[in-house]
Amino acid sequence: MKKILSVILLAISASGFAGGFQLNVQSVRSLGMGGAYCGFARGTESVFFNPGGMTNLKGQNFTLGCSFIFPLVSLQTDAYDNINQTSPMATPIHFYYGGQITEKLFVGLGINNQFGSSSSFEDDWQGRFIVQNISLKTFSYQPTIAYKIHDLISIGAGFVITTGKFAYEKAVPLTGTSTSEGKAVLSGSGVTYGFNAGFFSTLIDNDNMKLTLGGDYRSGQTINLENGVANFSDIPVSLQTSFPAETKFTGKLNLPSVITAGLAFQYNLNEKNSITLVYDFNYTGWSSYDTLAFDFENEDTPDSKTTKAWVNTPTQRFGIEYALNEMFFFRAGGYYDVTPILDGFVSPELPDATQFVPTFGFGMQIGENIAFDISWLHQDTRRTASLTDAGFTANYHRIADVISFSTTIKLFQSKPSDAPSVN
Amino acid sequence: MRNYLILTGIIVTAISCRKVEFDEVERTYGEADFSTYIAVGNSLTQGFQDGGVYEEGQENSYPAIIAAQMEIVFPGMNTWRQPTIYGNGSGYMHLEYVDGEIEVVSAGDTNGYVEDGSWANWGLSEQGTKFNNLGISGITLMQCVAINNDELVINNGILGGFHISIPPFIDQTIPGNPFARFMDFGDNPHVLLGGGTPIQYVDHIEQSNATFFTCWLGDNDVLGYATSGGIPTEIDGTLLGMGIVEFGNLSDPTEFRMKYDSVLTAFSNLGAKGVCATIPDVTVIPYFNTFTVATIKEDKFYTEVWITEGQGTGGTVRVATDADLILLTAVDSIETGMGGTETNPLTDDYVLDVAEVSDVRTATTQFNAAIKASAAMFNYPVLDMYAFLETLKPGIAFEGIGISPTYISGGAFSLDGIHLNPRGYAIAANEFIKTINAAYGSNIPTVSVGAYRGVVFP
Repeated sequence: MKKILSVILLAISASGFAGGFQLNVQSVRSLGMGGAYCGFARGTESVFFNPGGMTNLKGQNFTLGCSFIFPLVSLQTDAYDNINQTSPMATPIHFYYGGQITEKLFVGLGINNQFGSSSSFEDDWQGRFIVQNISLKTFSYQPTIAYKIHDLISIGAGFVITTGKFAYEKAVPLTGTSTSEGKAVLSGSGVTYGFNAGFFSTLIDNDNMKLTLGGDYRSGQTINLENGVANFSDIPVSLQTSFPAETKFTGKLNLPSVITAGLAFQYNLNEKNSITLVYDFNYTGWSSYDTLAFDFENEDTPDSKTTKAWVNTPTQRFGIEYALNEMFFFRAGGYYDVTPILDGFVSPELPDATQFVPTFGFGMQIGENIAFDISWLHQDTRRTASLTDAGFTANYHRIADVISFSTTIKLFQSKPSDAPSVN
Repeated sequence: MRNYLILTGIIVTAISCRKVEFDEVERTYGEADFSTYIAVGNSLTQGFQDGGVYEEGQENSYPAIIAAQMEIVFPGMNTWRQPTIYGNGSGYMHLEYVDGEIEVVSAGDTNGYVEDGSWANWGLSEQGTKFNNLGISGITLMQCVAINNDELVINNGILGGFHISIPPFIDQTIPGNPFARFMDFGDNPHVLLGGGTPIQYVDHIEQSNATFFTCWLGDNDVLGYATSGGIPTEIDGTLLGMGIVEFGNLSDPTEFRMKYDSVLTAFSNLGAKGVCATIPDVTVIPYFNTFTVATIKEDKFYTEVWITEGQGTGGTVRVATDADLILLTAVDSIETGMGGTETNPLTDDYVLDVAEVSDVRTATTQFNAAIKASAAMFNYPVLDMYAFLETLKPGIAFEGIGISPTYISGGAFSLDGIHLNPRGYAIAANEFIKTINAAYGSNIPTVSVGAYRGVVFP
């Protein structure tokens, strides 16, 4: 029998990023208190969490922070008792500047890695046709201004420029006479714009206590991967027109919007010691992440479209800070994060799950001008879930510890002795 | 600052002690005894693929895959044996890339993968060995056990060969099913053919010492009819006093049930546990769906496709509809223009016409009902392969590998369009394993589908 065939191949299934590609590590002080900051908003981190809170700053303030994320992920499938991810440590950074220009006008700049994910597996692992390595790294730059409308209310807004870099490697299930499978490597980058706006209000402020609240909205952003490059290797000769050594692709990565409302209540035990309680509520618009599609320039390459169907989810954050002698700050808190990924859409690279995460932090004020902060959070989740489109089900166990450090420097602040004393 | 360092030290220590790995799963065979696992069935069981049985194909037969996994939960399993096939075995099809096109090259074509030198006598010297994989390509349930003496004669001849001693055929041998040569079927009971004692397929089951079995018989009772375009083979048995004997016709549902009961009785008498599998809807497989009336019209610029309906030369010529299925084997004839005109219609052996499709579907439904009823009577679980193949129809994925019943690109069917390839057999093996685990409380691990190859592209 001889038959001349035109083989129409199935599209290569694409993976995506599981939930949690939002990096909620943008303030070490906040991380000690469950990640809440919107209603607190006293420091430079307000640039990101609530620009309206920047009006609390005095002088010129700089914060530089870095987190070390140590992920450990293991999987168990019907075929394998245990599979380990080989994902590397991630080190997202944040930098903020916030300063007072006039009595009522404040400016700031934020640079941080708001979204990112990097997951790796051994090349020959069971799910290699779904993903071998995948990473997304974004840098956001946010020039910001804030204005004190009234002693009790301030507003602020920033323009956000985000650059994103994306890389994805997977095996292609095509066997040749001398190759058992092919490989696809996709990489691309793009830029997107958005905004971040917030308000901050002081409801009570007296010698005994202080009650503040804030609200913030960070817009969704879409990174267009305009000039993505796809490389296919180890493809049988007869199929190289469909999967060429190199072709371009375009794609879109939707970064979600986040709306936040927060409260902070400070109770002064005495002149130098105080207790502060904070609470934030986030609502993250993950439903924007409905599909992940790659359109290849080469017409014979089957385009890839993966349904993500994520859902919008709430996160509750709360924490407590005890300030000792205005010098040592002990913090503890936690957050309850509902996963945006329903069963049937859980991909092996980042098996997100609804979880409660405890966080701890410690800060030290050295003199008037320098502060150090450290925080630690510990995630430990188990989930049994499927990625239906890929036909993959596993028990997942994920542990991640995040240790963060930051330094804040305050310059050009008028000395306390210069301030009018309150009788 | 010191506090700071101490805190960091505590955290780093805590992090280095983390354990996320899953423990090794404690394996159990549950209520099953996998000491001697016997697989009965046809070509699918024998590992037939790409139009033949060859070494790599047999190594990846679904019973071989299941047996290797069973041993994980039952290390005391007796050595599991298949009648080894060497190299190209009976010869098989492969793909070549010629002038920018992918071509299917059959064993007999130029550059074909012809049969191995060992194939001519394959199996004959191994008839004394007790094998675990008793799959025989081409075997029907009808041939497994006879319900009368005539059938005993015919079954013995089909499987073991006719040793004709009737004038003018004295001392002539008509070979039996070559894929059955690893089994001894005894001697033909017909007086004119030696008058010996036959050994039936079901006798082999009785002597198998099976403690566990998989039974996937019955496909050929439909498939043989379907793949020949609804034409049975006729043998003139007049000289044996049997008149015209037809093979490859659709089996009778009542007889089918009786014989299925006989097979399960044989296992049941051994006290064996096991699993039965139903017959897939054969009209879903690529063999019947690669060329359709629509694709022929498009490729050949025909306004109509002409076919011969019914059987033999007496069939009527008519215009085909989408309900008529064109066989994969029609490819060369289509190229020469057959089917393009009323005077040159596709012959009926290339067409499963709408009435025949209906017959095949009806028979499949009846046989599957018989399999389920019989299995229920003996309290054996059933793997519904019919239902499973339906789920493949729209295309599904395993471990990120897309699978569908599309010819070649679908990934799980071999080049003959009927049988599975190693990846397809691995998927089938996993379905058996899941059924076994569910029924007997074992936890045999499934295999990674991606570890088994799909179609080999040039």
